[in-house]
Amino acid sequence: MTRTISIDPITRLEGHGKIEIFLGDDGSVRNCFFQIPELRGFERFVVGRPIEELPRIVTRICGVCPASHHMASAKAVDGCFGNEVPPVAHKLRDMYYHAHFIHSHVAHFYALAAPDFVCGPESDPAVRNILGVVAKVGLEIGGRVIKARSMAQRIQQLLGGRTTHPVWCLPGGVAKGLKKEELNEIKPMVKELAGFTEFSLKLFHDVVLKNPQYVDLILNGPYTLDVQFMGLVDKDNAPNFYDGQVRVVDFEGHEICKYQPDRYFEHVAEHVEPWSYLKFPYLRKRGWKGFVEGINSSIYCATPLARLNVADRMATPRAQEAYEGMFKTLGGKPCRALMANHWARLVEMVQNAEMLERYCADPEITSDKFRVLPQQITGTGIGIVEAMRGTLTHHYTCDKNGICTGANLIVGTTNNNAPIQMVTKKVAQTLIRPGKEPNQGILNMIEMAFRAFDPCYSCATHTLPGQMPLEVSVYQGGKLQHHFKRGS
Amino acid sequence: MRTLLLGMGNPYLSDDAVGIRLARDFKSWLEGIPNLDIVEECSVGGLELLPLIEDYQRLVIIDSTKTTGGIPGKWYYFTAERLRETMNLTNIHDANFVTALELGRRLGMKLPANSEVHIFAVEIADSLTFAEQLTEALQRGYPQYSSEIFNCIVELIASPPGFLVPVNVLSHAAGRI
Repeated sequence: MTRTISIDPITRLEGHGKIEIFLGDDGSVRNCFFQIPELRGFERFVVGRPIEELPRIVTRICGVCPASHHMASAKAVDGCFGNEVPPVAHKLRDMYYHAHFIHSHVAHFYALAAPDFVCGPESDPAVRNILGVVAKVGLEIGGRVIKARSMAQRIQQLLGGRTTHPVWCLPGGVAKGLKKEELNEIKPMVKELAGFTEFSLKLFHDVVLKNPQYVDLILNGPYTLDVQFMGLVDKDNAPNFYDGQVRVVDFEGHEICKYQPDRYFEHVAEHVEPWSYLKFPYLRKRGWKGFVEGINSSIYCATPLARLNVADRMATPRAQEAYEGMFKTLGGKPCRALMANHWARLVEMVQNAEMLERYCADPEITSDKFRVLPQQITGTGIGIVEAMRGTLTHHYTCDKNGICTGANLIVGTTNNNAPIQMVTKKVAQTLIRPGKEPNQGILNMIEMAFRAFDPCYSCATHTLPGQMPLEVSVYQGGKLQHHFKRGS
Repeated sequence: MRTLLLGMGNPYLSDDAVGIRLARDFKSWLEGIPNLDIVEECSVGGLELLPLIEDYQRLVIIDSTKTTGGIPGKWYYFTAERLRETMNLTNIHDANFVTALELGRRLGMKLPANSEVHIFAVEIADSLTFAEQLTEALQRGYPQYSSEIFNCIVELIASPPGFLVPVNVLSHAAGRI
């Protein structure tokens, strides 16, 4: 006979995700499933529309990473028109995207990740949020977070004309260039953001790395997986969030493959399970082998840590220093400790800020050669960027009139669907043991397993409530034995 | 009293757009009223909302909700004092609305009091299918619930601080939470 533990984010909303944990007679975890509903019909929705409209439409898939969809879509549409995009347009898009990364990573670290460490993984859920962080570390932190986000957003606005849901990228470039007076407004904000990224890294050192328990949790806890890693790299194998080749490396550091975005379908396939709406991408050439770890596994992670694991170096000096320090502490590269994703985000932010500094000093950045008009239609385009939470692929086809005939998307969180399942089960098996009933602390530590991925189901599925309120029901023999909830 | 009216949702996600559609329709009637600003389409939540609502004394939000066993077309009214989650006031990647409000206040931002954050949430049938149309149930009920909500908002805007939409005007609604 088995017992079932269901962990449901707020039950007053349908369309939520839930974790179901199945216990055996002895009280040990037999199985664990993370289930979420999926949005339907995007491919059908865009078929029949002018292909150049798609970069504007896809930003509405998700309110969390609209710029990622905008960029991937713009690159796919560039391909449909066979455009050579002017160098300054690429630079402007990349510049915009670095600001967007900072905007997003700041939110994840301070609102979602930091509460687990600053307040503690087993602290009262009522205080385990950004207010708890502020209460412990100081009100000044909250002000800096809000200010950093608003500056990152203002930079996006100055570049792209609006803060959210950009309509800026067009086939062959961007709709507007950067004026000198706009650049002058951006420069001091970039300087302050650079300081903020360094400050965030120091905060992580002070709060997390100086606490031996947290270091032990990161390195030796159940939050590790022996799977492979994926990320976009430039010609020097440094992380590139906007452009480059996709590199896949195994957890011992050997390169499995490296490919141009337009060859993605030769390397990635999607597995379907009857119990989940969401697909499970895997390395096609290895074949689907199930939810298994190991050097021959076809499962991969596409996360901030994965991006640093597949890279040989960072693209900028201060980020390089932070990257070297991180892997030294973690015992080398690649690192399999998924909780290090939080640290990797902060290292990425340093590169984001340095790249913004680099663009601010680039004399070409205010050039007016930011677009070429499309002259042809090729019929196919594939765009890949790194969304904050993983590799994002947009693949479109269109007819000779530029009308969309097909679309396929593999979003960041979908890439990580299999490892999220696996680590959630692993943590549950470690923490819920015979005779030990789950409590709030244990449930949060299970949540921490998938929170490390910064999963966003707004596009992979639909919005979930903030802070993931949970309900837990324990059944035995079909009867409810134990029930409690937190949040909401 | 400076008031902001926000229509929330995703314009391409079927019934999720009902808040946007209502705000757009109401704008044609309400535009020009002193001290009232209207944002017909807002698709962000959490900390992202703070700069948008700063310096307003009253906030009126029109959103969608999906509850277990709820009847599409029914609607709910509540304030942030008794906040329940709606489809777009939440953000998994960010702080939730209540936390964001509290953080903003602690940071000294001038935000409306919880009693002045008025939320109208329409029960919807489908927010998972990409479509520019409302489902039939929402479309059919639109004249009824849109006029009811509109009347409530007009009375609210015309009333002094502290006003709550009275229960007796909610006879066709699912009720005040």
